[in-house]
Amino acid sequence: MQDELIKEIVQAVLIRLAAGDPKDAKPIKQSAQPASNQGERTDLSQPREAAGENLEDLAAVDLQQEIMVPHPVDGAALEYYKRSTTARIGVWRCGPRPLTRTLLRFRADHATAQDSVFKDVSEDFLSRFNLVRVQTMVKDKDQYLTRPDLGRQLPEGELEKIRRECPPKPQVQIVIADGLSSRAVEANLADILPALKQGLASYRLATGRDIFVKFGRVGVMDVIGMTLAAEVVVLLVGERPGLGTSESMSAYMIYKPGPETVVADHTVVSNIHKGGTPPAEAGAHLATVVKCIYDAKASGVKLAQQ
Amino acid sequence: MGHHTEVITSVGIDIGTTTTQLVISRLTMANRAAATAVPRIEIVAKEVLYKSRIYFTPLLDHQHIDAEAIARIVAGEYQAAGLTMGDIDTGAVIITGETAKKENARAIVEALADLAGDFVVATAGPNLESILAGKGSGAAAFSQAQHRVTANIDIGGGTSNFAVFKDGRAIDTACLNIGGRLVELERHGDRITYISEPGRVVLRECGLTLGVGDRISLPQLKLLAQAMARCVLEAVTTRNLSNLARELLMTPPLRLDYPIQTVMVSGGVADHIYSSEQPVALSGISTFGDMGPALGWAIRDTFRAAGVELTMPRETIRATVIGAGTQSVNVSGSTIYLRDHTLPVRNCMVITPFPDGLPDNPGDIADVVQQAVFRATSGNIDQPIALALDGPRTPSFADIEHLATGLAAGLAGYLREGKPLVIVVAQDCAKVLGQCLETRLARAELICIDQIRVDEGDYIDIGKPLMGGRVVPVVVKTLVFPGPS
Repeated sequence: MQDELIKEIVQAVLIRLAAGDPKDAKPIKQSAQPASNQGERTDLSQPREAAGENLEDLAAVDLQQEIMVPHPVDGAALEYYKRSTTARIGVWRCGPRPLTRTLLRFRADHATAQDSVFKDVSEDFLSRFNLVRVQTMVKDKDQYLTRPDLGRQLPEGELEKIRRECPPKPQVQIVIADGLSSRAVEANLADILPALKQGLASYRLATGRDIFVKFGRVGVMDVIGMTLAAEVVVLLVGERPGLGTSESMSAYMIYKPGPETVVADHTVVSNIHKGGTPPAEAGAHLATVVKCIYDAKASGVKLAQQ
Repeated sequence: MGHHTEVITSVGIDIGTTTTQLVISRLTMANRAAATAVPRIEIVAKEVLYKSRIYFTPLLDHQHIDAEAIARIVAGEYQAAGLTMGDIDTGAVIITGETAKKENARAIVEALADLAGDFVVATAGPNLESILAGKGSGAAAFSQAQHRVTANIDIGGGTSNFAVFKDGRAIDTACLNIGGRLVELERHGDRITYISEPGRVVLRECGLTLGVGDRISLPQLKLLAQAMARCVLEAVTTRNLSNLARELLMTPPLRLDYPIQTVMVSGGVADHIYSSEQPVALSGISTFGDMGPALGWAIRDTFRAAGVELTMPRETIRATVIGAGTQSVNVSGSTIYLRDHTLPVRNCMVITPFPDGLPDNPGDIADVVQQAVFRATSGNIDQPIALALDGPRTPSFADIEHLATGLAAGLAGYLREGKPLVIVVAQDCAKVLGQCLETRLARAELICIDQIRVDEGDYIDIGKPLMGGRVVPVVVKTLVFPGPS
């Protein structure tokens, strides 16, 4: 009986919180609100869905512009430091703990990151590009996360499909993989891919047919490169999302992968997203890196040492 | 790849109203981005290697600079520093104050830039002078380190140059025709040997009817110096200027729509401001053949009386030359579009065809660009152009193509003659925009750079690529010669 009562109270409190004016949710103002304000509310029966529409989307707030310190001694300096980093600095506190707002924002960003790991790149999106689509040995997301080795291998049927649909021995083979962020692919591909191909064309480097790999990890590019005997392989892949952004893409490049290929043979350009290197500019830059790899006949550490 | 750091040697030469100076510095460039990221090359260290003696600017008469004597100074100082012209990678010659008004100012500064080294650029203009002095004095760095809006006043022989900095950036500039050499005196004596035009204005305002050859008394000189000092104070404290200050302004006044939190004074007169000396006799004041010491003391006392504290900068008399030597060269963003053989390009006039934003369709973009280029080149067909714009509507590839289509159509006529064209975009998209233009304008002499700030009326010079071809050195400058007064 006691437990039931507690549950009821908790429910009531939750509903009340959800129905509250979003402004009241701001911790600084909240602490200044007299408690009696809460008692004036009579619309506890309001459905949750309707109340949800009034909730502020914390994830949409630009953290670098949000000043949480109530009375900064030097506001200009605080703004300057906040602008200079994406780290969660100057978030204020309640006793020794973070504010509810800070904690909720942290959890919202974490949820966004998890979503981009667990969601697939949408069919609609992929159908806008002319891609040969294959899937690694991985069956589902759980297996993808627990068996990295399978994400680097393609079943014989998929290899056969690649041989059938892609021209062999391309100068440059472009591969796209979901990796750990489907959002990275959806957010950047439409800008990075045409810029990369335009740049390669201006260097007179011919590409084959682009390939999309579902449940792919970096090593799969070597398998595809060997299958097609490509000279340079470029992999555009979603990076493991962080709390700062879940849209970041990396580009891995390798010269003539083979059975002896190791991780250090790859050249990588990371942090491609609208808050890092913008995808269109990154595509143009990648073309120059590919040209450099093609001319040097080397990539990764071997190229850096030349 | 390699190229982790690169060192370039930079010269700064300042031909001022009173003094001519030269400094040699070493600028170190390095890639500041993480190893896996797109490179971000910046100037990471600036070190002054050599400071010349401070010379009196050699003049043939009051309208002409002695070109030969200046060339001898530069050659002699290079020798003393153990360098030849070939060792100098870049730098700037700036002609400042009253000297910029001489009839042969432009010819001299351009000839000297050629003489001084491969990519040494000629500059002039009161606003640029103000900014370089404030950067050279250390005021700009102070404003960034302390988060204080800092005004630097560089007071030389002919002008007082005001620059206001916020977080390291110049936010306002002005120039007042006040300096220590507006009235020249017999050295160690009290006889007036020269009165400049602005000097005459101040004398008249003080009710003094003195001419060349007359003797000036200590009280008269103090009166003159105080009138000048009041104008300097007004310029940083009020928009409500006296008639005298208004008459002596060579530019619009400071906006003062921001709070000035620190005031610094640099320039030759500054050394007298930060001393505790008091005028005793005229023979002691006229040591340099001018009224500089008297002006310095008057400014110190006037600011103190008004409750405005003056902070001493890191550099005083050498501020402008150090600014010219270490602060005039920037590097472009690290993803750019180039045709190496067209570099260096010099004296490109900046035009900003879209001050109110980009038109919606490529046809309109083309029309606006074509008209802007036509206007800019109508007077001088050979004038190279730098087109400055913010960027595409959004950084998407589709919008970049949209912009490229418009630009290509609008620029085809100009480019047909084989002239180089510089495009300066504020957004990080120079390389992709350059490639989009290349597919539309085969064989055009295009240079497309980003992350450089320019304004209408500026000039830019772009040097040969550095750091393995990834960046170019860029000097954004002005070329304003006020002409003989």
